[in-house]
Amino acid sequence: MYPILGARHSSNVTWSSQHAVTCIGPTRPLSSINIPPNRNRSLGDDEPRFAAMISAFLVFNNQGQPRLTKFYTQLDTSIQQRLISEIFTLVSNRPAGSCNFLPLPPLLAASSTSHSSTEEQSDVPSLVTYRHYATLYFIVISTSTESPLALIDLIQVYVEALDKLFENVCELDLIFNFETLHATLSEMIIGGVVIETSLDRIVAGVRAQGTVAKRPVNEGRSTIGSGMGIGGNFAWTGRV
Amino acid sequence: MFEKSLYDLIRGLRNHKGNEKEYIQKTLKECRAEVRSQDMDLKATALLKLIYLEMVGHDMSWASFHVLEVMSSPKYHQKRVGYLGAVQSFRHDTEVLMLATNLLKKDLAATTPTVISLPIATLPHVITPSLALSTLADLLPRLNHSHANIRKKTLVTLYRLALVYPEALRAAWPKIKDRLMDSNEDPSVTAAIVNVVCELGSRRPHDFLPLAPRLFELLVDSGNNWMAIKLIKLFATLTPLEPRLVKKLLPPLTNIIRTTPAMSLLYECINGIIQGGILDSAEDIAGADEIATLCVNKLRGMIMINGDANLKYVALLAFNKIVLTHPHLVSQQEDVILECIDSTDITIRVQALNLVKGMVTSDNLVPIVSRLMKQLKSSSPSKDRRPPGSSSNTPETESDDESQTAITAPTVRDTQALLIPDDYRIDIIERILFMCSKDNYSSVLDFDWYIDVLTQLVRMAPVPRTFDADTGALLPTRQQVDVSEKIGDELRNVAVKVRAMRATAVRAADVILDQLLSDNPVGHPLSSGALKSSIWIIGEYSIQLALPDDSLNGLLQAIPRIGKPEIVAVALHATAKVFSSIAGSDVEPWTSERKSRISLLLARILDVLEPLALHPNLEVQERAVEFIELLKLTAEAASGQPPSTDENSQEPPLLLTQAIPSLFTGWELNSVAIHAQKNVPLPGGLDLDEPIHSNLGRLLAQTDIITLQSDEADEFEVYYHQRPPPSSISSSAPAISRLADPDDDMASSYQQLSEESYLDADILAKRKAERMEKNKDDPFYIPSDNILRTSTPIHNILQNHNGPALDIDSIPVMQLDLEKIGTTAAAPSRPRPQPRQRVIIAADETLEGSDSGTGRQYDSENSSGNLTKAKSKKSKQHSLLQVDSSTIGSFSLEGNASEGFDYERQQREEAEMQQAMKEVERLRLEMQRANERIQMAQGADVQGVVIKKKKKKVAKKTAGDDENEPTKVKPKKKTKKVAAQTVEGGEPGGVTEDTPGSPSAKVAPKKKKKKKAPGEEVEATGEAGSLV
Repeated sequence: MYPILGARHSSNVTWSSQHAVTCIGPTRPLSSINIPPNRNRSLGDDEPRFAAMISAFLVFNNQGQPRLTKFYTQLDTSIQQRLISEIFTLVSNRPAGSCNFLPLPPLLAASSTSHSSTEEQSDVPSLVTYRHYATLYFIVISTSTESPLALIDLIQVYVEALDKLFENVCELDLIFNFETLHATLSEMIIGGVVIETSLDRIVAGVRAQGTVAKRPVNEGRSTIGSGMGIGGNFAWTGRV
Repeated sequence: MFEKSLYDLIRGLRNHKGNEKEYIQKTLKECRAEVRSQDMDLKATALLKLIYLEMVGHDMSWASFHVLEVMSSPKYHQKRVGYLGAVQSFRHDTEVLMLATNLLKKDLAATTPTVISLPIATLPHVITPSLALSTLADLLPRLNHSHANIRKKTLVTLYRLALVYPEALRAAWPKIKDRLMDSNEDPSVTAAIVNVVCELGSRRPHDFLPLAPRLFELLVDSGNNWMAIKLIKLFATLTPLEPRLVKKLLPPLTNIIRTTPAMSLLYECINGIIQGGILDSAEDIAGADEIATLCVNKLRGMIMINGDANLKYVALLAFNKIVLTHPHLVSQQEDVILECIDSTDITIRVQALNLVKGMVTSDNLVPIVSRLMKQLKSSSPSKDRRPPGSSSNTPETESDDESQTAITAPTVRDTQALLIPDDYRIDIIERILFMCSKDNYSSVLDFDWYIDVLTQLVRMAPVPRTFDADTGALLPTRQQVDVSEKIGDELRNVAVKVRAMRATAVRAADVILDQLLSDNPVGHPLSSGALKSSIWIIGEYSIQLALPDDSLNGLLQAIPRIGKPEIVAVALHATAKVFSSIAGSDVEPWTSERKSRISLLLARILDVLEPLALHPNLEVQERAVEFIELLKLTAEAASGQPPSTDENSQEPPLLLTQAIPSLFTGWELNSVAIHAQKNVPLPGGLDLDEPIHSNLGRLLAQTDIITLQSDEADEFEVYYHQRPPPSSISSSAPAISRLADPDDDMASSYQQLSEESYLDADILAKRKAERMEKNKDDPFYIPSDNILRTSTPIHNILQNHNGPALDIDSIPVMQLDLEKIGTTAAAPSRPRPQPRQRVIIAADETLEGSDSGTGRQYDSENSSGNLTKAKSKKSKQHSLLQVDSSTIGSFSLEGNASEGFDYERQQREEAEMQQAMKEVERLRLEMQRANERIQMAQGADVQGVVIKKKKKKVAKKTAGDDENEPTKVKPKKKTKKVAAQTVEGGEPGGVTEDTPGSPSAKVAPKKKKKKKAPGEEVEATGEAGSLV
């Protein structure tokens, strides 16, 4: 009944009232909120989409807690955390109707000045693209040679793939199955280069790796339901 | 012990809200034990938990050996966890990486595609040149794997390999090329190749020109928009090399632009046209014009589309690229771009700002800067909310200049004032400075306006952030350069370069100093960066000061409160200069009145300077001591010279009228181009490496002795270092400054009339007054009475005070060279078009025939100096997330590319490999030993007995018997089985290797064999390694 992300062409997705009670916080399906109509729809799902040299792919929630961190260059854990928190500060202060691109966080701006956008510096990560779904932020840090609009779609493809794998994906799915998150990502991006953007191929690639994806979903859902009481008082402040 | 799954861990975290830290520490401890267990399931689970905790920020680099163990598990789901751990936690300096080589090679040769994918996906994260070297041979055959998925991933991994080890490309390229040419290839693989080629192409476009026909075919035929985007990007790098491509490309590109419904493809087409330099290809002027207009119109449309901020952003990005080559095209779009400057979205604002910087002209400078000033002004309230008293907490870094603006100038503020981060404010200010100072101020028509803007900027400049210790240690941030210092420097530049404006600049500097003094409560240090330049201006051009006594007063008040020693040093000098201009007149008769005034002045100055003679900063100390001595001498001379009476005319002391002024007058200071020094020819006989004196050390030692001898003049010293009796003169401002107040009151009535809402009231008032002053001889201008009234008191006071010799009215623009006379008439006409104020702006001085300097000769110091510095810094320093691909740029695919592997090289490689293997084996043994030690120390951990701090002791004990290690391994292995059942505390707990199927006893003999037969080393380690 719940709309999967496939229903993305409509921005005002409806969901059943029963779900409306339970989808507070991380159980809220990512599709339930504000998926802007995609301007690149005409590109079709089966075509590979490309954007090269991605420096990092991050997912964190509305409180800034990381749900997935993937850095395509080696960084110390502490610097990773600082970068995440800097980006979170930036992203959480965006006014409504802003574009999906962030100014450079201080950590990145320090090494590449934002002033000289004109120069050729294809190797420097200078584009921070984000998308906000329900309770989660998806961030891509990439070089400026990427196609910015394509990156927005790349995130969309990733979320759609997760949605297909988890059936109506929500934050809790991602918390408990972060291994699957990594697996899905590695079907799309290898070493910072996008290799696949077709939804079906990505999903097939993850499923080929075994039953991992399916089992924890049901386990996660059901146990959380019984364990936490899925009633209206279920409030997830997300301190994990 | 109860073992937690990942799921339990996450649930546990949820249940321990409030004390997660404690819970995580507990879990980490459990994981430490579990990850050492012999049970592979337990190990893998523990590792998964560690990976999860790593994501939240808990380092797991200590577990790298266990990661390797789990990677070697035969079960896929465990292996996968291990590889994930490697991806997430391995760094360049992870030592076990060496040990992983064999495992990676083995898994690359696996039969299951899912297993093959693991090392392929992991390699880019952990790749090092030596690892690339040893895995290349295993990776290459994977390019022909039957699964498209594997081929695709291998391709990309090979590219990443090539980034650290360019030779890899030589071997891989022919195969990749074959794949690209093969039209039967899976389209997603072709797309991946295009992606990689695009990446490579941006570095070495020359090598890919031969591929152009095939790429063109793909662009036209594939109908795959995503590949098309990449291809367009690639072509954009190729066209500059092969202009004939342009003609080929234009029809399909124009076609796409006209027809495609996909916004991203449309955008990339335009982008490609811009970047490929197609716009300025000279071949077909009419066509280029047409396409340029088409592009710009499309981009304009993107900005205009309501509500889509993303399109706005990318359009601005594109404009930013066009502006470099076609500024006129972009400036036609000024209206929409300026609209974006006021966007609520900072990202868009910054882009628009970038653009504006490039398209500023003398016509639009004032409106653009006005907009920016308004933004700054409207964002100040966020700062004003801070109570002025709160600054007392951090007096070191606070300067309250902007918090006071609210009090002095309550203006109507935008209700939707955004909270603008300081970074952005600094950015705006820097850009304003850049735009105005561009091309040696060629865009500034009205320097009065500019100086007012600068004065206002000083007040609005954000307080320099408290220096963050850990940030600063890691990365030098832009914050370090105080932006208000830049503003001050700009004011100084104007004062130096624009002679006609000097008086105005001096007045502005005076105002800034006053402002800072009055804004900061007494007892608080002054820290604004603008102080340095302001004080310098006051000193250097003290002749132009309206009220030199007042300014001196201000300086004397400021000196004890200045925080930075370098500013104190400047202030000391300025004090002396101002004093010399006040007291040094040789025309004024030496009356008793003058004598007492000068004695008083000297006493006051000495009173302020004397504490500085003991200043910890040497520069300050030296200058203070110099001036104290000089002024004391002057004081003596002044008191010794009897005042002239009616009948007996006396000359003022020469020290006062001749000696001191001659210290500071002489050559005029001019601005010097940054690179002028470089152009100074080296004198012929100069050898800087030659020692000045063969025995310099002894000479210096001798001078020490000499000074010791001269120390006898103690009496003299004591005399001068005794504090004079405290002077009775209070340092409070004289009444004159209070008389100036009506100025401010008048301002409020004029504020509403002024369209320049971004300037503070007092500055506005000053502007107004100046305008009146200028226009007072203009028959078409009807002056309002109150202005004249307010201006007279100052005038009178001045005349009373300074004598009729100095006329304030003559100070501003009047003091012009003959050729500049037009100024006074031109400036008043406020409504535009405004003729350029005819002032001479001195260019930076440089030497003839300079190559390096010519380009920047006309930039002012602020704009070019810092920019070039930043540029050079950037080029050296690698960005945080940057993938270094510089090596591949210098690598040529041509040459012997076709040869592929040559045997000689392979042999060399093998030799290297053997060397590496030896190293690997050594490391492996070390690791193993270390591990055993830890195991021994914490052997009982698993069983729940916590043994703390024992690790160290045991490690010390075992440290001695390194030599016999290989033989020792065997007995330990045997005890392992025992240890698993019954644990004896402190006994060796067994090695961590857990390789089902291979009896542990076998390990030891193998190692021995290796020691004996180094020739077979590679093979032997190959087996041993696979056991890991």
